[in-house]
Amino acid sequence: MPEPIARARAFSYSYPDGGGASLRDVSLELEPGTFTVLAGLSGSGKSTLLRALCGLVPHFHGGEVAGELVVGGLDVRTHGPGELAAVCGTVFQEPETQVVMGGVRAELELPLEHRGEPPAAVGRAVEETAISLGVAHLLERRTDTLSGGELQRVAIAAAMVHGPALLLLDEPTSQLDPVAGDELVWLLRRLNEDWGTAVVLAEHRLERCLPAADRVVALVEGRVACDAPPRDYLAWAAEAAPALATPAAKLFSLAGLPERPASVKEARTGLRAAGVELSASPPPTPPRARRKWWARNGRRPLALDIRGVWFEIEDGPSVLRGLDLQLLPGERVALMGRNGAGKSTLLRLAKGVETPTRGRVARGGEVALLLQNPGDFLIHEHAVEDAGPGGVVAAGLAGREQANPRDLSGGERQRLALEVVLAGGPYAAVLLDEPTRGMDRAHKDRLAGRIEELAEANAAVMVATHDTEFAASFAERIVLLGQGLVIGDGTPADVLAGGRHFSTEVARVTSGAALMPEEGARMLTREEVPG
Amino acid sequence: MSFVPVYRSRPSALHAARAGVGLAFCCAFALVGALFRHPLLLAGALAGIVVAGAAAGVGREVGRSLKLALPFALLLAVVNALVYQGGDTLLVRGGEFLGRRWEVTLEATFEGAINGMRIVVLIAALGGLMSAAVDPDELLKAVRRVSFRSALTATLATRLVPVLARDAGRKGDAVRCRPDPPGRLAVARSTLASALDRAVDVAAALEVRGYALAGRPAHRAPPWSRHDLRIAATAVAVAGLAIGGAVAGVGRVESYPTIELALGPAEIALAAAFVLLGFAPLAGRAARLGVAGA
Repeated sequence: MPEPIARARAFSYSYPDGGGASLRDVSLELEPGTFTVLAGLSGSGKSTLLRALCGLVPHFHGGEVAGELVVGGLDVRTHGPGELAAVCGTVFQEPETQVVMGGVRAELELPLEHRGEPPAAVGRAVEETAISLGVAHLLERRTDTLSGGELQRVAIAAAMVHGPALLLLDEPTSQLDPVAGDELVWLLRRLNEDWGTAVVLAEHRLERCLPAADRVVALVEGRVACDAPPRDYLAWAAEAAPALATPAAKLFSLAGLPERPASVKEARTGLRAAGVELSASPPPTPPRARRKWWARNGRRPLALDIRGVWFEIEDGPSVLRGLDLQLLPGERVALMGRNGAGKSTLLRLAKGVETPTRGRVARGGEVALLLQNPGDFLIHEHAVEDAGPGGVVAAGLAGREQANPRDLSGGERQRLALEVVLAGGPYAAVLLDEPTRGMDRAHKDRLAGRIEELAEANAAVMVATHDTEFAASFAERIVLLGQGLVIGDGTPADVLAGGRHFSTEVARVTSGAALMPEEGARMLTREEVPG
Repeated sequence: MSFVPVYRSRPSALHAARAGVGLAFCCAFALVGALFRHPLLLAGALAGIVVAGAAAGVGREVGRSLKLALPFALLLAVVNALVYQGGDTLLVRGGEFLGRRWEVTLEATFEGAINGMRIVVLIAALGGLMSAAVDPDELLKAVRRVSFRSALTATLATRLVPVLARDAGRKGDAVRCRPDPPGRLAVARSTLASALDRAVDVAAALEVRGYALAGRPAHRAPPWSRHDLRIAATAVAVAGLAIGGAVAGVGRVESYPTIELALGPAEIALAAAFVLLGFAPLAGRAARLGVAGA
């Protein structure tokens, strides 16, 4: 057995604010060259464990440590992040604040200069790393001109340029669209296979990274609750922590099938093994024409009426090109499309934060808009000053009125910010821009419940999201944007079942026959599965 | 669009030259503003900066820096005209106010305008041309060998300015979306707190990149390119002409008690030289060789 790259023995840690232990008796060993996924709900200790592995805990954050944690032969209690940086590279969630320099080449050179490497070695390491990680074309770019996905790749390159044996990543895909997120996970897998780098990846969207993983460590309230290969982990999650199971695993569990597939391919194989014959993926159903739908509902008053709207940027592109969209009161709509398709712009125009360069936006009453970063809405020192006593309760934070919003988790901040924008209701329309970024499944379910309440109160709710599973869970209508126009508009079954990219994991497993695990399981148990 | 010019890679000889040489080129024109008070020479230097900016593809950035500098220049001219009472040519006779006479003379106005023009030259050379055409990372890399932490702090400050500007813009949008917009003080306090959060995040990123080790970067001596040589030669020529002209007494100006302005062949030749030297290293086929990706 090779010497582990990291070893924890009864390691516990508490932050200095006295809020209780964030890690409790963690014992594990990470072998060189393995790909480990850290799973767990928000606040379970994933980020803290990563920060301990890179030495920020306790040297940067302070606090109390017990037990032992050794990384690359260095004890984190006595060696700080500077020394541990020789052994491990670290990439955080927010791309913007971890890229330090103004140019990409300078960013990659910096860690090597810190180590006093000679110029020739710096030049060679930068070139080789950039080529291997697919950022060679970005070397002469300024960092403030890069997209989120490009920034994350540059951050990974900067973390790997000195050749560490261990790479730690804290939800690196949470700020990215699904395509950039998938590319990043496969880049990590290649890095793991080609370079032999051990990867530890904390992630909420497990369906994205389990196919690449050798092993999953699940944390519950700071303790290691499961440490197993992906399929065994999914078997554990199905029983002990359903919120941590992937949709395909949940489908199999609900249908009573014995397998716990870690990927769509495994799930399809599992279904075939169970005697379920899947037909070839049907061609995408043409979305129902909106005009027809509108003809059926045309006499009802509209919550939002957007007609012929253009949004053209001076010296820039036309983000929206004569877009038409009508929302009825009480409708639950998911607005989807790739990055740059115009989702956020459409929401801003609907609220009136921006003005269309052509076209008309009519509102059936007040419109509430929650922008992407909930922290921007939380101005005061105490939660109650921002949202009021009723808002704090509605956000599920009763008893924490005096909490500083910055001390809340991402999901809690999102809920509180939503109540801040809803304070002046009632609203004809409520618009949410990417509210599930970095959220665990439990928080998403709670948000879906709140959307249901708002719709029952007759508000049209439109949510811009990349998260197909979330969209399928709350929406009755999916609007797909592309090139500044509506390119798909219909029920979730119409739009998400036959899509190649915009589809749920269960839809991909069942060739579009079902979108959600519950629906798929009903179908399987009713018809296909023998016995 | 940023009001303050920021560096962007462009295919020009000035961008392709090493940062130290680009800095010297800009500083040479700034030196003219520091050494001379003659309006023709200052205009020549300013024209040199503008043509250099246009030839390097940063004409708009230099133009923005001029817009930024003009209010300062105007303020300086007005304040000097109001505060200094010297000069024989009375333009405006003011009354007694606050225990003193307020008079505006042609000479004081002229002196204020000259000082304003010098400010414009300095800002256009350093705040406009240099900010837009000289890579700050390369520049600070040279400084890092002398004072590693100071240079890195300066780099971070440069990097964080646009990030914080975007944060402030986002927060402003969020405030507009609130049904009860909070007071400006609360927003300002929150923005400051966000800036501190950003700073902590960046500090953590630096820690895990081995900042604590802070070794002195090794010296690098890449070969001199044709652009390095041409622009360095121009910088030396501009600085040499400026220093030589100042020593020889070219561009003599007296504002008080009456305006005396030397305007001979030496002044005209020197001003023309500044304009030509601004353009010369960036013109012709040689200036376009191997500049892509700079």
